[in-house]
Amino acid sequence: MQHFVLEQALNFLIQNGAIDLKPLDQKIIKFSLQDLPLDVNFVCTNERIFVLNDTNKPSDVDICLNASVFFALFKGENLTELLRQDKIIIHGDVKTAQLLVDLLKTVDIDLEEVLSQYSGDIIAHEAGKIAKTFKQATQESTNPLDAIKDGLSDLLISPKVSELYKNKHS
Amino acid sequence: MDKTTHFGFKDVATEDKQNLVRGVFDSVASKYDLMNDVLSFGAHRLWKRYTIASSNVKTGDKVLDIAGGTGDLAIEFRKKVGESGHVILSDINAAMLGEGRKNLTNKGVFGVDFVQLNAQYLPFDDNTFDCVSIAFGLRNVTDKDQALREMCRILKPGGCLLILEFSKTDSELLKKFYDFYSFNVMPKLGGIIADDEDSYQYLAESIRKHPDQETLKDMVLDAGFGFCEYHNLSGGIVALHKGIKA
Repeated sequence: MQHFVLEQALNFLIQNGAIDLKPLDQKIIKFSLQDLPLDVNFVCTNERIFVLNDTNKPSDVDICLNASVFFALFKGENLTELLRQDKIIIHGDVKTAQLLVDLLKTVDIDLEEVLSQYSGDIIAHEAGKIAKTFKQATQESTNPLDAIKDGLSDLLISPKVSELYKNKHS
Repeated sequence: MDKTTHFGFKDVATEDKQNLVRGVFDSVASKYDLMNDVLSFGAHRLWKRYTIASSNVKTGDKVLDIAGGTGDLAIEFRKKVGESGHVILSDINAAMLGEGRKNLTNKGVFGVDFVQLNAQYLPFDDNTFDCVSIAFGLRNVTDKDQALREMCRILKPGGCLLILEFSKTDSELLKKFYDFYSFNVMPKLGGIIADDEDSYQYLAESIRKHPDQETLKDMVLDAGFGFCEYHNLSGGIVALHKGIKA
């Protein structure tokens, strides 16, 4: 669910010209938190971003950090400084990692809420969080009704990865 | 290809399945939307809405909707791609395609092309489309692997395949209810509303014969897609598989 929201928000910004994806074209970036079971893969291709749970493909960059550093990063801490302090581990091209971090910073999404799912907290404000993401879309979209409908549909059908299958490997 | 395949719970000659499926959809075409609303309690509209939202289709994109039937997805894709984009609504069944054409015309949606085609042999060049969708159609395709390879071929690198299909629920309680509903209620409703109990018996059986989430994911990857992920909807009664061509 969280991946879906993030993917929607990123692609909305790409389509509206708020994000230039060219520097990240054909890149696969793996983003992992050390202290939470969160692995997200950003696949940048065909002028859009797909946010996936896992991929069989090797990534161009692996970014590994813990949750507190993650928040610090998005509250304005400098990536280079965090790297110098060994608080972030990056395997691969640091410039690509920087581009992704810059891109994520532009998304109006409540990252603490996103992480609460993985830390086992109850998401008490699921609706509010999604509403926040779509609020911006609604304000900027040429068709606000569509954005609201998308968000509402998302809430109603509540997609999730099956518990039964989540540990199986393809 | 194997000499026999399944048609619901029956084994039939492979070359016969296409005609048998055609018979089903010829019979239900005129009542298809009404039956979908009744049988799914309207949920099919939400599943399709989620599919559209997941597509990441944008202005100027080329989209092929396979087994598009009455055109629910094509209408939404048309809005997303705009005047500079291109949407093709396709179906193997002429009666369903006719219903789609009628539906789009009635709703004032123009600029969509209609093509009658077999998903196993797609009449398009390599690397043509940004998105290919198939909603509640793959389980009726005789050779699913061949169809998936074709879908991969015609997608551009980075193009997205969306498969919305009935699947397997992992909730025992839901499964019991769903089994009872599918085999006891659905065919009866089909008989009452569409005057065709057999077609809705086939619907229930074909869902049970369709590959589960993980199997279909493997099939998508084996067909040449670089990535595939799925999301269960309504407890796994339906799943949306999303394949991305590397």
